Amino acid sequence: MDYFADSFLAALRLIFQFDPEVYRIVWTSLDISLTATVFAALFAVPAGVWSASVKFAGKRFLRQSLNALMSMPTVMIGLIFYGLFSRRGPLGDFGLLYTPTAVVVGEAVLIFPLIMNLAMTAVESADPRLLPTLRSLGASPVQQFGLVLSETRLGLLVAIAAGFGRAIGEVGTAMMLGGNIHGLTRTMTTAIALETSKGEFELGLALGTMLLLVAFSVNWLLRSVDRGAG
Amino acid sequence: MKSAYRLEHVTFAYGDKPALTIDHLSVRAGGITALIGPNGAGKSTLLNLLAFLLCPAAGQMYFFGRPVGRAEVLALRRRVGLVAQNPYLLHGSVIDNVELGLRLRGVGKEQRRRGAMDAMARVGLAGFEKRSVKALSGGEKQRVALARALAPEPEVLLFDEPFTYLDQNNVHLVEQAISSYTRKSGKTVVFSTHEQAQGIALADESISLFAGRPVGAPLVNLFPGTLRNGVFDTGKLAIQVPRAPDRGSYLAIDPEEIVLSPEPLNSGLGNSFRGRIIVIAEEAGRARVTVDIGEKLNARITLESLQNLRLGLGTEVWAGFNATAVKVF
Repeated sequence: MDYFADSFLAALRLIFQFDPEVYRIVWTSLDISLTATVFAALFAVPAGVWSASVKFAGKRFLRQSLNALMSMPTVMIGLIFYGLFSRRGPLGDFGLLYTPTAVVVGEAVLIFPLIMNLAMTAVESADPRLLPTLRSLGASPVQQFGLVLSETRLGLLVAIAAGFGRAIGEVGTAMMLGGNIHGLTRTMTTAIALETSKGEFELGLALGTMLLLVAFSVNWLLRSVDRGAG
Repeated sequence: MKSAYRLEHVTFAYGDKPALTIDHLSVRAGGITALIGPNGAGKSTLLNLLAFLLCPAAGQMYFFGRPVGRAEVLALRRRVGLVAQNPYLLHGSVIDNVELGLRLRGVGKEQRRRGAMDAMARVGLAGFEKRSVKALSGGEKQRVALARALAPEPEVLLFDEPFTYLDQNNVHLVEQAISSYTRKSGKTVVFSTHEQAQGIALADESISLFAGRPVGAPLVNLFPGTLRNGVFDTGKLAIQVPRAPDRGSYLAIDPEEIVLSPEPLNSGLGNSFRGRIIVIAEEAGRARVTVDIGEKLNARITLESLQNLRLGLGTEVWAGFNATAVKVF
């Protein structure tokens, strides 16, 4: 028990003494995950809103595929993009492997189905009178799209936050595509795995605490948006 | 007489369940038309067709004389305003909602505000602009939806069951807003109701809908039954019908055509029944007298006749009507 308590105190010390190593890793993590979330959301949210708003053949199949892809193991995405980005792979000439860009791409692809699926759910669970109301008020398809986005914004924010949560918390893709390079692609999760295996439990715990803090902050932010929407 | 809408051989179905079958229907321009019918008669579906939110499965619709094509649906929707029975208000304030139709039509900010404030004043919502829609009562929400539909000054205002969820004060406000919209600007109003008296009192003309079809009879004194050899049997009454139609499982008797008398009726009326008065009520300036003749029969007579005939609750009377007052469908 002492071991755990001592490690925890040491971890807090690292955090509150603004240990540059800890904050560099936190920043790298936030940078990569936020970028991945923004890119994924840019495509996944419109795709989800559109798919939920119109009827088309294969919608059921799409939904089932998204459900399946949501639980895609992170190492599988890592493995696929490792194959694509490695020197001998089809995208090898770009030299992306072990760069933050590679991790951003991998994580964006990883969270795309999650955000799209939750966005579809958000729109589908909106009031069924919403679309007929907008149409009867003379909204063009583009205007309808904009107003549906605004009316379901809370559900869409939850979808994006869930995507961010998965991106910042995953380790498989970041490890395989980023290579855990110090100062470049070392994220909180890959660093926790590395430092703990090296016996640096304090640093691991400090990063774990920061990871939790980020998760709580996102949750808190969503709650305040929810209250604001009221 | 110019018609706002004309529908020729129009049908509509939800999946394989037919909802509307209309051979011919026209809605007068510049007047108030009531769509009267019981729940499930197809009133809302018809209003949605008239609002261009649904497309007929077959047949042709004409809007102010021009055939309606699918390509111009957006432009047509912007000429019409629809207030749903249970309207949806978007998140935000009352003014956000009332301005929305104008905003979607690209109207500038100042003009938008003026139009919205004017529409709100017309439905008694002046001073409500900053209120959140979440804090409104049911009647207020209905009036916000009406103001929202009125603000862009549509050529046609469609209103689905405006009075169902309103209290008396709100009914009065909404009635006034509807009639002044037509009287002052010559716009067309179509509203649906399941209450015959309200429909007739407010409207210039009425269309009765039953089981998805317009029927040329007011839907009062509606009885199910079977037709055999020119006599319609409701199970309790045998009613003579005009020039026997081939088929029909419902019969309606126009309440205006029913004659009441304390003496037996020996004129040429085809149908005459003895009964007892069980309800007398004032309805839109006239008296509704319900007589129990085995079935409950509603007659509508003037208040003067009610007095002259000295009719009261429990009075034994004869109720008579001609076969022509009867409609079988």
